[in-house]
Amino acid sequence: MGILSGINQKRLFRTILTNNRERLYRMAFSWTHDPALADDLVQQTCYQALRKQRHLRDIEAADAWLFRILANCLTDHHRARREVLSGDELLMVEKWTPEHATQEDQIAQRVRKAVAALPLAHRQVVTLVDLEGFSYASVAQILDIPVGTVMSRLSRGRRALRDHLLDFAAKSGMDVPAKVRRIK
Amino acid sequence: MKKDDIISDEQLSAFTDGELESDEENRIFTLSEQCPELDARLCQQRKIKEMVQHAYRDVPEPRRRDKRAGPRGSLFSLAAAAVLALAVGLAGGWFASRSLEAGSAAAAVAPASRDTWLLHVSTSDPVRMQRALDRAEELMTGGGASSNRQVEIVANEAGLNLLRSDTTPFAERIRALAEQDVLFFACNRAIERLQERGVEVRLVPEANTHYSALDRVVHRMQQGWTYEKI
Repeated sequence: MGILSGINQKRLFRTILTNNRERLYRMAFSWTHDPALADDLVQQTCYQALRKQRHLRDIEAADAWLFRILANCLTDHHRARREVLSGDELLMVEKWTPEHATQEDQIAQRVRKAVAALPLAHRQVVTLVDLEGFSYASVAQILDIPVGTVMSRLSRGRRALRDHLLDFAAKSGMDVPAKVRRIK
Repeated sequence: MKKDDIISDEQLSAFTDGELESDEENRIFTLSEQCPELDARLCQQRKIKEMVQHAYRDVPEPRRRDKRAGPRGSLFSLAAAAVLALAVGLAGGWFASRSLEAGSAAAAVAPASRDTWLLHVSTSDPVRMQRALDRAEELMTGGGASSNRQVEIVANEAGLNLLRSDTTPFAERIRALAEQDVLFFACNRAIERLQERGVEVRLVPEANTHYSALDRVVHRMQQGWTYEKI
């Protein structure tokens, strides 16, 4: 019984890992804006997750656990390259060129550029909340920071995005709710 | 708007993300109906959130290159892998198919069994390299070896030296093990990193490449292969 349960757990874990690869990659890309590096980070994450799976006590918490490993892999990557990670001070290196802009959706490019300009600490919080819909408590666990810090980084990150983007959104006619309404 | 009713950006974010208690949420709804400025700020918050979601709905795929040069790299196995990759790709999309690439033909054709071993070398320490080769030999010829046993050695980072023709001290042993059907894989990412530094990389003829050693390790572990980091 115990062995069978262990085997099932392993299978379930592998399925979870496979199902999460795309999500992990999108998150890694939103943090780095470098497809090759994002791919490396996801592979490193999967590798570490498989080696450490016995440490995962609650399979229900696997999602947040995987994203936490991903965040740690990014930190390790910067450390290995001797980049100083002081959270708010780290700014992403801009990699876009006009050629890229012509190939992809202009609004998406503009937003990515604004997200890339955020300090990494803000970028991670914004993307974990907005792209994955993680609760503030989960983000706090993933990044190992207090919930209050999650809230302040999110707020500052969104404020910076607003300053970068809203003028552009108005000109490009993006559909926005005209008024906030209660919806039952 | 009264001074007490000023809503912070943190509260607005929490409201947008559904993180507020019901009574606090109600209070903000009520205030927003009375205060156009607050309403506009809430709309901005939602707009920003939607823009971020939109920007990452489709993200660029990583570039990958694989080359198969080993003894099992026949046209048949490459074709079989391509057909399988296509079938899986159609069924499960890019992320499901990407692990079944040319270099993994053997795994794609044969279902995983318990008698499959992956040895991983990531150091240029000759003692460890030798240990990896000894282990492979032991697995192929030692007690308990069966005819369907599969052994792969994957090299990345500094371990790439094991499979570089100009750096390996073990070319003969690699050739002998390859004749016993041990498969060798070099990490293409590691090769590219060396090439970026101006290093010319030549591999021993028995070496296959996979776009990422870690991806191969993960793929094999997920298939149930026994993994040993040397």
